[in-house]
Amino acid sequence: MPPASSPVELDEPRFDEAIDPAHPWVVIVWNDPINLMSYVTFVLQKLFGYSLEKATELMLDVHHKGRAAVSTGNREKAELDVFRLHEHGLWATMQQDD
Amino acid sequence: MALWNTKPPVERIRNGYRINLADEERDLLRNLLAQLRDLLVGPNDHPALTRIFPAAYDQPQYAEFDAEYQRLMRVDLVASRLAGIEIVLLALNAKPPLQEGQLLAMTQAINGIRLVLGTVLDVSEELDIDDIADDDPRASDYHLYGFLSWLLEWTVRALTGDNS
Repeated sequence: MPPASSPVELDEPRFDEAIDPAHPWVVIVWNDPINLMSYVTFVLQKLFGYSLEKATELMLDVHHKGRAAVSTGNREKAELDVFRLHEHGLWATMQQDD
Repeated sequence: MALWNTKPPVERIRNGYRINLADEERDLLRNLLAQLRDLLVGPNDHPALTRIFPAAYDQPQYAEFDAEYQRLMRVDLVASRLAGIEIVLLALNAKPPLQEGQLLAMTQAINGIRLVLGTVLDVSEELDIDDIADDDPRASDYHLYGFLSWLLEWTVRALTGDNS
């Protein structure tokens, strides 16, 4: 079920229920005491193709600020990204941007 | 433990990678991988699995989405982890050079064990294995956790070409 705030686009396929370009889904990686900093950087590079610099910056945000947004997209893409992060043991969730 | 060996536990060689672990360390890893496999195919609400199966949607208004995610994706997550464990078990017996895919599976599997062990030990970010007293009843688990962290660090280094 789409969140109440989603506009209903009749020409969109039904499985794209939660697509809202103005409010994309954001994938967030949270700080945790188990994952190594080097491993988190490595996984972000591997899964999203980020440069070492960008991945390190995101990892440091996770480490120091407690969280970092690592990708955005429609619900389906965000869920796949969350799944891939979970496959690698990172603590990832998704939420709709406001 | 070969913590003081001059050779890194995992290193890049011509045409691939090599694992430089002693037989007893390989046995230890096989044993831990088997335990992880048993946990994964057991009751899936085991508290040690909390970090293996985190919520995808953590906001209350999306509880339904998360229930759907857990229902549909958990099977895939378990299958992916089990396949990875098999790859690593084979890699531990294989002659070098190992391929990148085998090392990637190793990072995920070692980290999977660390997630379980770290959850059971309830580790904090300030954890320093050196501070654990020898007579701490969980000293051996902490040292195991330290060993896995060390091994993962070197596996990542081998994959990224960072040998510093």
